[in-house]
Amino acid sequence: MRWFRDHYGAGPIHLLAVLVSFAIAAYALSRALDLTGNPDRIVVWLGGSIVAHDLILFPLYALLGVLAAGAILRGGHRSRLRIAALNHLRVPALLSGLLLLVWFPLVAGKGERSFMRVSGLSKDVYFERWLLITAVLFAGSALLFAVRLRRLAR
Amino acid sequence: MRPLRLPDVGPFRADFWRSPIRGPWLASVLSAALLPLIAICAVTGFVSHWAYEPHLGGNAVFGGSEPGNGFDVYGLDWPTSPAWLYAATQGLHVITGVAAIPILLAKLWTVIPKLFENPPVLSAAHGLERLSLVLLVGGSLFVFSTGVINIQVWYPFGFSFVPAHYYGAIVMLAALCLHVGLKLPVMRAAFRQRGVTRPLGEDLRHTEPEPGLPGVVTSAPYAPAAPTLTRRALMGGVGAASAGLALMTAGQVVGGPLADLAVLAPRGRGRGDGPNEFPINKTFAATNIPREKVGPDWRLLLHVGDERRAVLTREELLAMDQVTADLPIACVEGWSTTQSWTGVRLAELGRLAGVPDPRGVEVRSMQPRGGLRSVTLNRGQVTHPEGMLALRVNGADLSLDHGYPARVIVPALPGVHCTKWVGKMVFA
Repeated sequence: MRWFRDHYGAGPIHLLAVLVSFAIAAYALSRALDLTGNPDRIVVWLGGSIVAHDLILFPLYALLGVLAAGAILRGGHRSRLRIAALNHLRVPALLSGLLLLVWFPLVAGKGERSFMRVSGLSKDVYFERWLLITAVLFAGSALLFAVRLRRLAR
Repeated sequence: MRPLRLPDVGPFRADFWRSPIRGPWLASVLSAALLPLIAICAVTGFVSHWAYEPHLGGNAVFGGSEPGNGFDVYGLDWPTSPAWLYAATQGLHVITGVAAIPILLAKLWTVIPKLFENPPVLSAAHGLERLSLVLLVGGSLFVFSTGVINIQVWYPFGFSFVPAHYYGAIVMLAALCLHVGLKLPVMRAAFRQRGVTRPLGEDLRHTEPEPGLPGVVTSAPYAPAAPTLTRRALMGGVGAASAGLALMTAGQVVGGPLADLAVLAPRGRGRGDGPNEFPINKTFAATNIPREKVGPDWRLLLHVGDERRAVLTREELLAMDQVTADLPIACVEGWSTTQSWTGVRLAELGRLAGVPDPRGVEVRSMQPRGGLRSVTLNRGQVTHPEGMLALRVNGADLSLDHGYPARVIVPALPGVHCTKWVGKMVFA
């Protein structure tokens, strides 16, 4: 047992659990690949989603956050006022970005033809709605900031 | 053997990750919020597979009708009561799935330093765990992205959605069960160290970096910057985003005043007033059914096996005993709509075909192609007093888009099984 722990890095139950999990995942993955005409597209989508999040989406929004913080808290000006200004900017930006991410096919009008054939409706209203929600989020946040301004300045 | 270290550059440097609020407590509290949503989403997903009853006739969307086609409840009939059963389970599936997205993204933000942990592999056990995380993160992103894109009626995948989403979920769940089992001690330690909710009470001045846990590589920062956000604000923002998305999506399930909140949900839109102005999931124009097949020459054929037992015109159907019931159409895409339907009981049509106690019925649409244009109903569905071949809705004839001349409506039946433009019924 001691030998196993030293060489493997955990107890035998750990190895057993990992193997069971891998076996089920491998079975499910092989079924998914069997049942579709283009198995390579599944692999692309699976790997692509990791790349899209970890190496594109995350660095992108993290970088925007760092730039915003750098501009607003420049030179170590870390007053409550400046920190609040940063938050009143990034919270509506994140919420608007999240809505765009989740409802991207609607907002960007992707799949307009199939949507029309299925529902008899067009996707053309969603871009305006998203813009409007974004405007309301930023305006609401700015208003709240203005209300808090005097208290924060103290 | 000493673990191999990568050069300490960029994100592989321990002091690259500066946020003071990352750490095992934040990861744990986000997981505690995420886990119930994923559990509900997974269970209702498997329930939906069961509701399709893939063992009957040509109902299986993938892989044929033999057992082994997924994890199934074979032989157990999908019930007809309560009538809103499928609207509820599938509504929950889509609501919880969409609501989980902001929490999942926040969780990935919290633990992303661990993607770059250095040395990358400490032992065989650690290496296998990290390999399993590839399945967990990849599987989750795969399942959530395909699901949320599919409900917006966009099909950029290049693979068939249903089996990929179904088996992708099993990949994710296999990795998730392992992950939960392995990380439960870390969660317990983090909650014991910091309290379950105590950090939510701290204001900015008292927002201290998490110290991390002894003997575990965690996402707690090595060289934390000064805080600009409290943990309370982060969790509040994530919670608000999740609740907002849930409300938006719920509007297309529940309807009523909530429907006005479904501004960005794909099916939250009113279609104006009028008896036939409610959501559609396939327009007549999309079916390629020739116009003359739904005109006065339309006939309903009642069969037993290959043997024709009766041929009925729409007038003859309207002259039969009618039943009226308020029943939902509930789509697999997570929206539903309850309307008042009028038509002939399926059991009555069975009697006409000479089958007074049918074991089931295969309903065929006149659509020349497309999946599920032939659907088999179970005994409970075909004999239910409100299981009908609907001819009218809200006091008016069905519109072409809603299945004129006749369509199936049965309590709790998944929407895609409520066959429209019915041409033939084969009783068993």
